[in-house]
Amino acid sequence: MKIPENRKGLITLKKFILLLCCVAVVEYAPLFAQGEALYKAKCASCHQIEKNGTGPMLKGARQRWIDAGEGDLIVEWVQNNAALRNSGKSKRAAAVYKEYGGAVMQIFSEVTPEQVNQILDYADAPPVAPPPGTAPGVPATDPNVPVEEDGGISNVWWLLAVVFIVIILSVSGVRRQLKYATSEKAPDNSLSYWDEFKILAWKNRAISGVVGLVLTIASVVLVFQSLGSINLMEDYQPSQPIAFPHSQHAGVNGIDCKYCHNSVEKSKSAGFPTVNVCMNCHKQINGKDAAQQEQIAKIYVAAGWDPTIKPAGAYTGKTKPIVWNKVHVLPDHVYFNHSQHVVAGKINCTQCHGDMKQMEETAKVVPVAELNNVEGNLPLTKPTLTMGWCIECHGKKEVVIGDGSNAYYDEIHKRLKNNKKLYQQYLKDGKLTASELGGWECAKCHY
Amino acid sequence: MGVTKKYWKGIEELKQTPDFIQQRDHEFPYPSSLASFLSDEKLAEASTGRRDFLKFLGFSVAAATLVACEAPVTKAVPYVVKPEQVTPGVATWYASTYYDGISYASILVKTREARPIFIKGNADFGFTRGGTNPQIIASVLGLYDSDRLNGVRKKGSDANILVSEADKAVVTALSKAKDVVVLTPTVISPSIENALENLTLKYSVNGQSAVKVVQYDPISYSAIRKANALNFGEGRIPSYDFSKAKTVVSVGADFLSTWLLANEYAVQYGSTRNPDGAWMSKHFQFESIMSITGSNADYRAQAKPSEYVGILNYLLKGLVGEGSGSSSLSKEATATADAAIKALKKAKGESLVVCGSNDLGEQLLVNAINQQLGAYGVTIDLNNEVRLFQGNDEEVNALFSRIISGKPPEVLINLGTNPVYNSPNGVSLKKGLERIGLVVSTARYADETSSSASYIVPDHHALEGWCDYRPKEDHYAVAQPTIRPLGDTYSSLESLLVWAGKAKRGGKDSSVAYDTISAGRLDFANLVHNSCETLNITPFIPAFTEKRLNSQTKSGDWEVVFYQKTGIRDGAMPSNPWLQELPDPISKVTWDNYITMNPGQMEEMGYATTFDQETGLNMATVNVNGQSLTLPVYPQPGQAANTIGIALGYGRGSSGEAIGRAAYQTKEYGGMDLDANGLKKPIGSNAFTCLTVAGSQILYSAPVSIQKAEGEYPIAATQIHHTVMGRESIVKETVLGEYLSKDKETYNPAHKLQRLNEHGHHEEAAIEEFDLWNAHPVEKVGHRWGMTVDLSSCIGCGSCLVACQAENNVPVVGKDEVRRGREMHWLRIDRYYASGVESTVGEKKEDGTFGYTEAEIAADNPAVVHMPLMCHHCNHAPCETVCPVAATTHSNEGLNQMTYNRCIGTRYCANNCPYKVRRFNWFNYPSYKKFTEINPAQDDLGRMVLNPDVTVRTRGVMEKCSFCVQRIQSVKLEAKKASRTVQDGDLKTACSEACPTQAITVGDWNDNSSNVYKSAEDKRSYQALEEVGIKPNVWYKVKVRNEG
Repeated sequence: MKIPENRKGLITLKKFILLLCCVAVVEYAPLFAQGEALYKAKCASCHQIEKNGTGPMLKGARQRWIDAGEGDLIVEWVQNNAALRNSGKSKRAAAVYKEYGGAVMQIFSEVTPEQVNQILDYADAPPVAPPPGTAPGVPATDPNVPVEEDGGISNVWWLLAVVFIVIILSVSGVRRQLKYATSEKAPDNSLSYWDEFKILAWKNRAISGVVGLVLTIASVVLVFQSLGSINLMEDYQPSQPIAFPHSQHAGVNGIDCKYCHNSVEKSKSAGFPTVNVCMNCHKQINGKDAAQQEQIAKIYVAAGWDPTIKPAGAYTGKTKPIVWNKVHVLPDHVYFNHSQHVVAGKINCTQCHGDMKQMEETAKVVPVAELNNVEGNLPLTKPTLTMGWCIECHGKKEVVIGDGSNAYYDEIHKRLKNNKKLYQQYLKDGKLTASELGGWECAKCHY
Repeated sequence: MGVTKKYWKGIEELKQTPDFIQQRDHEFPYPSSLASFLSDEKLAEASTGRRDFLKFLGFSVAAATLVACEAPVTKAVPYVVKPEQVTPGVATWYASTYYDGISYASILVKTREARPIFIKGNADFGFTRGGTNPQIIASVLGLYDSDRLNGVRKKGSDANILVSEADKAVVTALSKAKDVVVLTPTVISPSIENALENLTLKYSVNGQSAVKVVQYDPISYSAIRKANALNFGEGRIPSYDFSKAKTVVSVGADFLSTWLLANEYAVQYGSTRNPDGAWMSKHFQFESIMSITGSNADYRAQAKPSEYVGILNYLLKGLVGEGSGSSSLSKEATATADAAIKALKKAKGESLVVCGSNDLGEQLLVNAINQQLGAYGVTIDLNNEVRLFQGNDEEVNALFSRIISGKPPEVLINLGTNPVYNSPNGVSLKKGLERIGLVVSTARYADETSSSASYIVPDHHALEGWCDYRPKEDHYAVAQPTIRPLGDTYSSLESLLVWAGKAKRGGKDSSVAYDTISAGRLDFANLVHNSCETLNITPFIPAFTEKRLNSQTKSGDWEVVFYQKTGIRDGAMPSNPWLQELPDPISKVTWDNYITMNPGQMEEMGYATTFDQETGLNMATVNVNGQSLTLPVYPQPGQAANTIGIALGYGRGSSGEAIGRAAYQTKEYGGMDLDANGLKKPIGSNAFTCLTVAGSQILYSAPVSIQKAEGEYPIAATQIHHTVMGRESIVKETVLGEYLSKDKETYNPAHKLQRLNEHGHHEEAAIEEFDLWNAHPVEKVGHRWGMTVDLSSCIGCGSCLVACQAENNVPVVGKDEVRRGREMHWLRIDRYYASGVESTVGEKKEDGTFGYTEAEIAADNPAVVHMPLMCHHCNHAPCETVCPVAATTHSNEGLNQMTYNRCIGTRYCANNCPYKVRRFNWFNYPSYKKFTEINPAQDDLGRMVLNPDVTVRTRGVMEKCSFCVQRIQSVKLEAKKASRTVQDGDLKTACSEACPTQAITVGDWNDNSSNVYKSAEDKRSYQALEEVGIKPNVWYKVKVRNEG
């Protein structure tokens, strides 16, 4: 990760604070991994563990039902709360419904009774403090491991170079003056530095010729290389109106990417979360410290939420949409569809976006070198968001067809077998890649 | 030095000296020749030498290039609360209803990110069964016209005022007035009918209502209503059912394109034109102009409008069995009429006769014929009245003469009609309207009539508001908004209710109209989902009473027919550049109206009959009824002798009204073309001024005199050749008898080429045996997208072309560019006339007997073939082999792909394309000033109509039909996501979707159960220019005429 030198200390501090936060907020319960996953996937948007939110806190929920004498009904309640309420056999159901102002809970008929218990076990488990550096989603910050060095030339070296050049020039000036002073002849004023240099170069023409050639070739190569990097989007990280930490949301809290980017499986665009999605959680979570509160207050302004209205805050109706700066910008002549890659291609988000669970700042175009470091990613060489990067992946990515998992590809497989020669040709390298199914054709992305 | 100079310049500017003004107005201050400039001795002393100048230039170009490399920051603004139905990037479709006074259809509206961008017919609901017309499809562009009024206007001011101010003035005037007239287009909305009723009840004087409602149709069909009133006791327009008519006889009715509910009839007619079906309809047409309907007729006879009555009489006599009476008809017309009588008798009870004339006597004759045929109750349903066109010419004329003669009503409420433009006495009417105390209009534009109104409270665009319709007695439909109103517009329904004191303004949520329409409907959500429902109606048992009246149609040496063009119709959408640039399906002329005349007669009279990029057509002045029009004369094969045709709907905005920029002529390098008075020049001339009133009916034909006028006029036509010139591999046609009795070799012979066999003898071999290229692996592997076009079904209506333009962001280029042959339409419809010289299919031509010059001359009454032509996606595409940069390549799904960002514009591909379907971007249409007035993509608002899934192409690249590859990709993706195969019918291209007769079939040819595979393997299928050996993925199907 490229981080400016002067910010590294700050970031280490931030990581430490985050570490503390995650200890406080998230239950670390490896024994209840199943329950944790279920909780995050199904419940987390409305229920918190230790605090009442849109719905009641889950810690002790089972006990509360048992206390009400209806301990056996909680599973029914979770699975289909409306049916239970309407059946009239549960007083607790009616009470909870009334307490939360008639807010309707979703139906989870697909959740089995065991799973309900797993979730509740997870909620009731005492918080376990994770050992430092092993908290989920937080990178290891072992003080003994040196922080990875930056590849670029630091400013100190530039400064040194300038100092040296100044010294060389002044020394040579002194030398020249001394030469005139010691010389018998009157100083030949007609000779400038440039003329002297020319004479010197002519005297040593073999060396200066070689040096000149090397310099010329080097500068041409440099110019071409720099031209090649024009408009490269790698590391592009525009400023954002809200300092949104992905590491907190996706990492520490473990919120699924699709919870906020919820059109990623339906649409060409993954979708920016709309403010009402933010408010699902942030209605209750307003920040631990002043810095967080300041950022979260911006969501309130956007949503038109006034937390000061008694008793629990209310919407004023005055909304102000958030204007984000787009990070991944494709040219207009490129058609890219997220759902194609995520649903049909089953590509993990990390393949193109890197490990956002560790991204403490707002999003950026992650350079390909970093993407390659992410486990499970297909390693690529071309810079991120260039066409070379796209087609490299299309050329390497294997498409599994004919295994019965997708009827569309089964049909394609069936038809491919009509031309055995072609199929054999495709399978020469042992796999069928996206490009062999047409992934390198122009009109797949350009129309 | 430079500073001093500037200073003095400033003083001159301050004082506005004559010298300064001259300098300011002229780019070059003093006329000087290049020679005198170069001989100036001071030039050599100039401080900036030529080389320095070039250095600066070079540096600034490099600097500008580097600066431009910085990518701009793109903003993204997500919803605050996302509506449940909207997902950014996914289209949302709404079922709605279209009605504009002359067309009606159940439609589906595609919206992307809440912007409507595409309209197609609703094939599942509504009696129009998916049938639309070019105007309905193009109407989506009108939504984004920046010249549409965006607020309430008061006379004499260009600033918007508050609606409450207008409402107050209207209500005050209404409560004082004793004589109020509401002038409205035909009202088919029950809610508006109800609101009008409320208005009449509210304002009354001495127990008598002060309010009178007059319905006014720009195109009148009142003769049909009157004839039925006389014959059946009720003035109804019946429902016609062409799908049940085995024999159709049309006398001057263009029922496939502009007559009554033509989009409904086109669907019905299309279903009867399948030669493989149980039966195929036989269609007879008698007409003066060459109409779209006439071009599809199996038998077509030419007749002057004054001869229609004779033809109808002849038909009636023939049917009654009185034998062929005295026939004043031409030999040709008599022969056709005799054939028609025979066919009508044969299909008795399953036939239909219609007439396009608005003459009462002629319509009475039509009724008598249909009664004789037993058509009532079978093909004509009087029970189910068509509620469109309720205007009564008598009432309207009485009102207009009142206004003109200075006895106008005190208050006139105009619900968007435009009689100043589209009634014969528009000019005097305009003066009369100015004498009315208060005129309030709900027109969408400050048009000819409304620009002088006291107040304009503009109505929504049809896609912006709620409305309900009852187009037929048994049919109730709802139109729902697909976008929040763009401007401060107010639905007419709401305005009427407010003025009647029944409602308060509901703001942008259209709540008043919604509440009114949904009141008391428990199943409203379901109704909106379906967009319509069927109502129970009380049966009306018609008893036929015989009645005859004389025809009022006057005859003359020369007669003129005023007709509607499919794109322009009554001229209500003049600023829609898609429609202006839609080539007329018959003449192929864009952006103009003209006089159509028989080319033979034109030669006799000394008019030029050919034209091209350089030479235009001669002008002529026609005099009708004391009115004269001067227009170019266009040679129209098939036009009846001694008749001319002039299209209505042109000449909009003759006083420079703000009716949209594309409604006016533009200059060669952009900007409005102004006349001597500084007024914008309208396109064409207004033929409504020449309409005549005879016996209270408005007639659309009249005697005329015609004189050649000075000048030559440039014509922008997309096809200037008339016939296929004997190349039978382009168009194949046959007649039904032959098709049914003979084998494929007779009517659809496979093309054979000659080669030398091993003995050195010539032998014939099939096309497949000759090939230059290796086979492209598309057969049976993966998908192979294909298309078939049934020439028997295609009626040439032009809907596909407009739909393609809307779907694929095809730029508008304007008249000047079309004239240079640079139109950009991805899909064109070639229209061929059958010339007498051409040989029949399968017959060899003798050497020396075939002359291309004669072949180009169309027959006097030619048969017509419409042939839609788009990219054929050849598997051995000649364009691909010549591209030096591989910008056009073949996909393994059989598509010929065009990659814009790779193209360098050599145009070799276009040169090598045998179908000439490639289009080159000569200009940057989305930004070059020449196209500012006409190209919607240059307007911030107009740009909203662009399809975000399709790239907007820039200057210097080729483009062409992509088979709607964005849709192909999308159906594949949907299948993959749902883990299913692509189903036949999933893929519909814009053209196939728009086709009312389902002539275009698309699909996966590799799927042997698909319709396109079956259609392509059919015995009628052939490929155009098959002998070139390029293996296209488009098949045509032999046209079958039901002759003989």
